[in-house]
Amino acid sequence: MTAERNRLDAIRTQNVSWKLWGPYLSERQWGTVREDYSEGGDAWNYFTHDQARSRAYRWGEDGLAGLSDDQQRMCFALALWNGKDPILKERLFGLTNSESNHGEDVKEYYFYLDSTPTHSYLKFLYKYPQAAFPYEDLVKTNSHRGRHEFEYELLDTGVFDEDRYFDVFVEYAKAGPEDILMEIRVHNRGPEPAEIHLLPTLWFRNQWSWHGNADRPGLRDVSSSVGCAVEADEAKLGRYRLSCAGEPALLFTENETNTQRIFGVENRTSYVKDSINDYIVQGVGHAINPARCGTKVAACYRLMVPPGAAEVVRLRLARIDSPDEGNGRLAEPFGPEFDELFQARRKEADDFYRELTPRTLNDDEANVMRQALAGMLWSKQFYHYDVDKWLEERGSDPFKPIRKAAPRNEHWHHMYNGDVISMPDKWEYPWYAAWDLAFHVLALTLVDTDFGKQQLKLMLRERYLHPNGQIPAYEWNFGDVNPPVHAWSTIFTYRLDKAQGGEGDREWLKSCFQKLLLNFTWWVNRKDRFGKNVFEGGFLGLDNIGVFDRSAPLPTGGHLEQADGTAWMALYCQNMLEIASELAMTDPDYVDMSLKFVEHFLWIASSLGHLGDDTGMWDEEDGFFYDVLRLPDGRSQRLKVRSMVGLLPLCAATTFEGKLLRKYPEMGERLNWFLASRPELSQAIHDPAQPGHRGRRLGAILDEQRLRRVLTKMLDENEFLSEYGIRSLSRFHADHPYVMHVDGQEYRVTYLPAESDSGMFGGNSNWRGPIWMPVNGLIIRALLQYFSYYGDTFQIECPTGSGRMMNLFEVAREISRRLSRIFLKDEQGRRPVYGGSRKFQEDPHWRDCVLFYEYFHGDNGAGLGASHQTGWTGIIARLLHLFATLHPSDILNDGTSAYAEAHFHAPKVDIPTTPEPHSPSIT
Amino acid sequence: MLNKRIVAIYVDKTNQQWIARDAEGKLWLIPVAEDAWKQRVPFTPTEKTELEPVPGHYKSLLGLPF
Repeated sequence: MTAERNRLDAIRTQNVSWKLWGPYLSERQWGTVREDYSEGGDAWNYFTHDQARSRAYRWGEDGLAGLSDDQQRMCFALALWNGKDPILKERLFGLTNSESNHGEDVKEYYFYLDSTPTHSYLKFLYKYPQAAFPYEDLVKTNSHRGRHEFEYELLDTGVFDEDRYFDVFVEYAKAGPEDILMEIRVHNRGPEPAEIHLLPTLWFRNQWSWHGNADRPGLRDVSSSVGCAVEADEAKLGRYRLSCAGEPALLFTENETNTQRIFGVENRTSYVKDSINDYIVQGVGHAINPARCGTKVAACYRLMVPPGAAEVVRLRLARIDSPDEGNGRLAEPFGPEFDELFQARRKEADDFYRELTPRTLNDDEANVMRQALAGMLWSKQFYHYDVDKWLEERGSDPFKPIRKAAPRNEHWHHMYNGDVISMPDKWEYPWYAAWDLAFHVLALTLVDTDFGKQQLKLMLRERYLHPNGQIPAYEWNFGDVNPPVHAWSTIFTYRLDKAQGGEGDREWLKSCFQKLLLNFTWWVNRKDRFGKNVFEGGFLGLDNIGVFDRSAPLPTGGHLEQADGTAWMALYCQNMLEIASELAMTDPDYVDMSLKFVEHFLWIASSLGHLGDDTGMWDEEDGFFYDVLRLPDGRSQRLKVRSMVGLLPLCAATTFEGKLLRKYPEMGERLNWFLASRPELSQAIHDPAQPGHRGRRLGAILDEQRLRRVLTKMLDENEFLSEYGIRSLSRFHADHPYVMHVDGQEYRVTYLPAESDSGMFGGNSNWRGPIWMPVNGLIIRALLQYFSYYGDTFQIECPTGSGRMMNLFEVAREISRRLSRIFLKDEQGRRPVYGGSRKFQEDPHWRDCVLFYEYFHGDNGAGLGASHQTGWTGIIARLLHLFATLHPSDILNDGTSAYAEAHFHAPKVDIPTTPEPHSPSIT
Repeated sequence: MLNKRIVAIYVDKTNQQWIARDAEGKLWLIPVAEDAWKQRVPFTPTEKTELEPVPGHYKSLLGLPF
């Protein structure tokens, strides 16, 4: 077992706090809902990037390449100054939703190069221009661009020309749970010597200002002849010492709002949040506290870096009232042990990923997989939001008779969030999103099953789940409706855990199931308007995919019967059935629940596959599913947009091994009675009684004939199948836009492979053509389910019209191969994800640093949307692993749970270390 | 028009000072001082007064008792 696995075990079995410190600092706290106290809920413009350096945050902190403890009492991050910028680079810059032609977007280059799951080793790269950062140019130029134009990126400004920039590598290695070694290495990639101020910064999250009697933590200079050091004292966290190698100047201030700058009212103290900025950039000598104490401190290293050379700065943050104290470490924080520990942690990270990485992956695939997982792990964030308190602070306490209306989240006053959560993207989406999180867990469980379990359970806790059973969507509107994929992620994780430990965590599964039951019932009661097992749900995470905004009242009046909403519920039933069946193997109480979900699935599936003389969602002529518009006058019509909405019914497919029926024959009798009594239910869907390969049963909406018809479209390169995965909208609509006229207004859906051309849902994402990883993952899951049922005998042409016949395992693998190609070097050494960017494609200091975007161009695979949404795009790590470890015969023999076994027993191989070699330190 | 009975904090943009409204709807000028609430003085807005709301969590920072 590797050292990192031992640490994970120690957390589980001995409660050792290896995860106390981690990359839990956000990359953007400004512009969030939590910090927004505006009347109208204009979060982006209420608390701006310009204010962030001067205004203390209420709910969380942000920073560059930073760490914090798991309650974010104390934070550490890097600040930089190149001598030309108008402000310190303390946080990443990006455009707000209204400033950019395609919605909010970070305009910086940074990379999550490595992380172990306990964060015993972390590596981050930031590329810092030597010229003045083009803040104004980015804002101005983007504001003049239209929705049909590309975004204006940082590279486009020319600020990286002649390679006049610094590569700033930040590495952390833990000597112990509360003893963190830090090494910051600055490379000058430019042709001339260049000066940089490095300002590693330690500070406390401001809690004392907002609570009347809160203890105020403190930092003070304790430098001595032994070296430069700061002591930090926080009531709950304890006492820590930050040791700084060399002789940096220590600059102390307070993490307090500069009220003079923000509100125009005199400051109560001279030392405020932006004092260090004013001292360094503007030379305001009296800005820094001469008493050498405060709640924020930076160690200022002024370095002149020759061209092509590097300088290194070292620090160490360690608890000094812990058992670790006194063993000599702090007396000599940068002794030979420092290097040895760093080397050991780097090697242990290599060992950990060597053990994890399948033998059949090549170096580039292994690199992509490792960086995807590094991105997942760096995207953890302490998320703090007490909604009741927030409402009260804005005068919107829902229990007061006279109050102001809150712009959002009034009905979620029960919520108290204060946890480390996996974020979609810590700059663009620094808030959790329930369905994203369920997908994150699919990738995170590759490295840390316990964290995956904890995350799934967290969303179901009483502090999150609404009393009515709804899972919170995201902070912009917790009451929005996201697809119900939590149960799928839960049973997936359970099976992995079971395969790993030999025994499943049934108590965890049971407790999740109970809460999921509440959520399932919420769906049934709230989203099935007429009790016909036909579901709505609004946009359901697919933003602009419909001809109308599906979350708004329809311009036609009436309502939509949604193919995706109904399909999601069919899948939800199957996943709940899987969980109930597993629990029923040891607890007969769950037999009834199993039967309930079988029957509920059949009701919903039959509604989707409806054949009657009414307008159903299945279109026999097109061989595809569509949303159905029900008009107030009783008329109906299918909205014939060929999109992911119509592919989702294919995804509601799950095979069953029949173990439950063998254990409880009476359940089979009851099921047979039900099927015999309701023959109409299985008329238009796959026959659930029909045995397949090895006697398996298949729960599916599509029978074989319909499956073939939908697959024919999905695998057609002129429709859904691109070189890089399955598109969200058929290319058919490039030449055949779907157009509707209502009251003189035209509504149109056209194939848009890149960015959105409208402001629907903020305009910063697009489901009208691009490739999205999570739904591709769902399709692959479904294909493997079908394969385990139909076996090798079900062959289909892939791509359609190619003459190549494949079984469904091969189809799944082919889609995964195409998805992987987005990130992997092609024959010319180019990564499609980087499109036409020469810097990213050709420069050795850029080309192996991989970014995991939010979605991808439907025709050329270029990355689009949020640039660091390793979140659900991190699923690529799972797919690389899956098809490198799973043989089709495993599925045919053992069913779809075979992968859980393969996960932990696949052969492994030597893999390269992270892109930048661990060169000797320069001190 | 201010909504009475909701305690609130404002910045008087014209004169760059903190203003608080208590539970009875009275407006007070809050000085920048340690015992700010004790040193409060009644405040009467004029036609030129521009009050900008300040988040409620600043009440502790300003030493307000409610």
